[in-house]
Amino acid sequence: MKYTPKEIPEEVNVNVTRVHPLVNFAYLLGTTIGVSILIYLGLGFAAAQLTTRISPEMEIKIGQSLFPKGLFSSSLKNQERLEYVQELATSLQEDMGATRIPITVHLWENEALNAAIFPGGNIVVTTGLLDAVETENELAFVLAHELGHFAARDTLKGLGRSLVFVFVTSAIGLGTQDAGGLSAVVSTSGQLTNLHFRIRQESAADLYALEAIIRRYQHGGNSLDLFERIKVKDSRGKFEEYLSTHPLTQDRIDELNKIAAQRGWLMEGEVTAMPENISNW
Amino acid sequence: MSDLINVIIFLGLLALGYFSGTYFEQQHYKSIKKREKKTLYVPTVTFGAKQAMPEARDAALFAGSVVIGADYFKTFVSYLRNLVGGRVVVYESLLDRGRREALLRMKEQAIAWGATQVVNVRLESSNIGQQAGSNKGMMAIEVIAYGTGVK
Ligand SMILES: [Zn+2]
Repeated sequence: MKYTPKEIPEEVNVNVTRVHPLVNFAYLLGTTIGVSILIYLGLGFAAAQLTTRISPEMEIKIGQSLFPKGLFSSSLKNQERLEYVQELATSLQEDMGATRIPITVHLWENEALNAAIFPGGNIVVTTGLLDAVETENELAFVLAHELGHFAARDTLKGLGRSLVFVFVTSAIGLGTQDAGGLSAVVSTSGQLTNLHFRIRQESAADLYALEAIIRRYQHGGNSLDLFERIKVKDSRGKFEEYLSTHPLTQDRIDELNKIAAQRGWLMEGEVTAMPENISNW
Repeated sequence: MSDLINVIIFLGLLALGYFSGTYFEQQHYKSIKKREKKTLYVPTVTFGAKQAMPEARDAALFAGSVVIGADYFKTFVSYLRNLVGGRVVVYESLLDRGRREALLRMKEQAIAWGATQVVNVRLESSNIGQQAGSNKGMMAIEVIAYGTGVK
């Protein structure tokens, strides 16, 4: 038998698939992102469906277990302010008939300007917000916006989606053990999907708020003034906090004005001042 | 903010892995091809275990082994691949380089010894550097080639 030496051919190496690594990578990345967005959307939708079936008692329980009460124990000097905001929130809630759970207002002594809704009908308002509002119309709009989130059960839906999110990312983590980059890809896709939900929720809450304002004051005048002031850049960065949780742009104000025009809502009217002892603290 | 930093670090590692991995792979293939041409005249064959040995006055065992590590890019792509299944293309070149390098190391020793051919050549490969029972740790493969050199 004669041995004939045979070279491994330069161009056709059958043991290595001839595909550019980056093409291969792009294909796999696209598939992963696409599938995780689909899973996230699907399970998120299911979670939202389930949260609308939660009973008010259950919602209160969830709220109690999740709400950080200790942080907001209001001092005596803020008692008057708290009572005023609580009264305003409750009357807005009654106007809109979203009374499955009574709203509870908590005052947080913090310079930042913000308001947020927590599960179980808990609204947190910072003292910074109360300092910044100049009329009751402005404060009412902020509160009504949070009420809008409450009425749409946005916090519960968000909770459901976070659970789905943790579930999906940990399932992938279990499947592949150490995959830091992979969970980063999946969680970024999740955050993008979440942003999509958030933007829709924000404009729905805005519309709800404007409707509540119209019912209460018969006009929407001055209610958006706070946002107009936020828009003008604040040198002390006081409004940053609100902007970080409420993506507020001129578009949002324009959108509300447009809807008001369509529905024939008055956007000018008599200003309702803040009670003396609340604003001039 | 910390998310953003994580993403930047991740992309940096990915780019580092891709560019350095590609560079080293190209260099390695250049060297492999050159040495394969140089050692081509000595036959390496797999028979010899149950067949009659060629006539020779001397025989010796030669083993060549190599460990090749995957870069961050390859590892990450393999994680993605694990989700959907299919050919792990990025690791194919790793194993191809491993096999050829191990064979070359075996052969170069045999040639230095004066072998006219290497018979009964066998190849084995394994994962190393990973913790038992998990995928944690570094991703590296070892390929060992051994055969009987005769002269
Ligand atoms: Zn909001």
